[in-house]
Amino acid sequence: MASTGVKGFFREKKKGKPGAAKKSNKSASFGSDVVQPPALISHATLDLQEEYDEKEEVLRQFDMNMAYGPCIGMNRLDRWERANKFGLNPPAQVENLLRMEKANGLCLWDGRA
Amino acid sequence: MEVDSENGLLQRKQATYQSLDETFLIAKETYKGQQYSQIYFARLHLMRTMLYSLLPTWKPHLPSCTVLGLEQGKECVIVGTLYKHMKLKPSVLDEYSKERSASPLVQPCNFLHSDDYLVLEDESGRVKLRGALLLPSIYVTGIVVALHGKETGAGDFEVEDLLEAGLPHQIDRPLNSGEDKFVVFVSGLSVGSTSANPLHFQLFVDHITGHLGDEKEQGMAAQIVQVVIAGNSVEIGRGLLNGQNLGSKDQSKLSEPIKELDILMSQIAAGIPVDIMPGEADPANFALPQQPLHRCLFPGSAAFNTFRSCTNPHSFELDDVRFLGTSGQNIDDLAKYSDATCKLEFLERTLRWRHIAPTAPNTLGCYPFTDRDPFFIEMCPHVYFVGNQEKFDTSVIKGSDGQVVRLVCIPKFAETGTAVMLNLRNLECHALTFGSQFDS
Repeated sequence: MASTGVKGFFREKKKGKPGAAKKSNKSASFGSDVVQPPALISHATLDLQEEYDEKEEVLRQFDMNMAYGPCIGMNRLDRWERANKFGLNPPAQVENLLRMEKANGLCLWDGRA
Repeated sequence: MEVDSENGLLQRKQATYQSLDETFLIAKETYKGQQYSQIYFARLHLMRTMLYSLLPTWKPHLPSCTVLGLEQGKECVIVGTLYKHMKLKPSVLDEYSKERSASPLVQPCNFLHSDDYLVLEDESGRVKLRGALLLPSIYVTGIVVALHGKETGAGDFEVEDLLEAGLPHQIDRPLNSGEDKFVVFVSGLSVGSTSANPLHFQLFVDHITGHLGDEKEQGMAAQIVQVVIAGNSVEIGRGLLNGQNLGSKDQSKLSEPIKELDILMSQIAAGIPVDIMPGEADPANFALPQQPLHRCLFPGSAAFNTFRSCTNPHSFELDDVRFLGTSGQNIDDLAKYSDATCKLEFLERTLRWRHIAPTAPNTLGCYPFTDRDPFFIEMCPHVYFVGNQEKFDTSVIKGSDGQVVRLVCIPKFAETGTAVMLNLRNLECHALTFGSQFDS
């Protein structure tokens, strides 16, 4: 995925993430942060995921959970509804985030795989 | 439809019909870029839940675990999807690695090999299966089974026992309703083909609508309550379908078989309810479940409310007798990738595996469903049929819970001139053959 100009090259300060502000303002962190995946390099530019916060983290953990099946090619909400229909008791928090707070409905790998 | 006779008008019998095809329709599905992993997950979940409920009666003392949770030497039960690794299975990559020749690389035949082996797979991983019990020639990719055994030193799973889903629950059909009512099955009409004899089809239509024979014959024809046409009703010459632009003369060749079929269908529909299913050669979509042939193709017949265009696979109830069947693609695919003494055995296996088309989507085209698998058989049918087979064959199988199913193989009409008549009262079947060879 192409980054949007200069914005994609310099990492911005994230809100609500105390302590991380000091980390680095100019370069990407490569694998040092367990929670954030290492930056992808596509088309020889750094590809940094914007708008990454705890909510997205919860949704990504939902994506990666094998019990609910593969996540590629499905909307997160569709996958949640399928898990619900199958009686797998997916976390209600995920449904809230997707419906009420309009968080990112596409899975982690959308467009990348 | 009534026919005059000396004793007054002969009335055709009727039966109450209910279509159960809703699960095979894909009008409401949207393609969002999903892959086939989704339908495999839906199938695994559906069947694993059902198999887990059967485990306590099968092997109550054994624990169940996932493939990744296997420990060497520990006896347990694992449930997963079977994958058969076949040496001779054609791969699309062969087109690039091997030399191109005029004839297609894949010859439709059986791809079995003595080196084939089975693998069991679930979300956590896969494990190669060993054991004398497991004959790879019987099984195909896509079936979900439960296996009892243990992991060997080599990392394989030694199978000691196998549990299939078995026949699903069946609702008892009404017993002894008294009168004989017949359902006629026909398939492979291949209208428009050079080898099909149009006289045979016309004879067939005339016979079932009561235009042939004396009073006794007409009386028998009056007992026919439903006609089911199980696929391959037209045959359009291969030369017309190779992607080249057609001249106007050739364009009319494309539509002539359908027009001819419509004329004959309207003769049938004028008298008897008729269900037409799409087949491999019909102008319908390729992937299963095939959607109903469009009404525009049948301007004459679609005007009748007795005309029904149905999906493939097709499921319906007639006087509370449940029917389920396909136009043959699922059984033909099984015949390519596994072995059996006769087609009825394939039919029986699909019922015992509780899945109409286990090889879909591996070797059989299939729509990528995400949250369901419509080929999973939920209720056991009373009559299970398959069209476009080489010859007429039928048998009755019994399930462990008292289920009784009549299996029917419908032969290709264009080659054999044979249709099948099934009596709703006792589910007995016989063949109805038309010939036009005149000696001398």
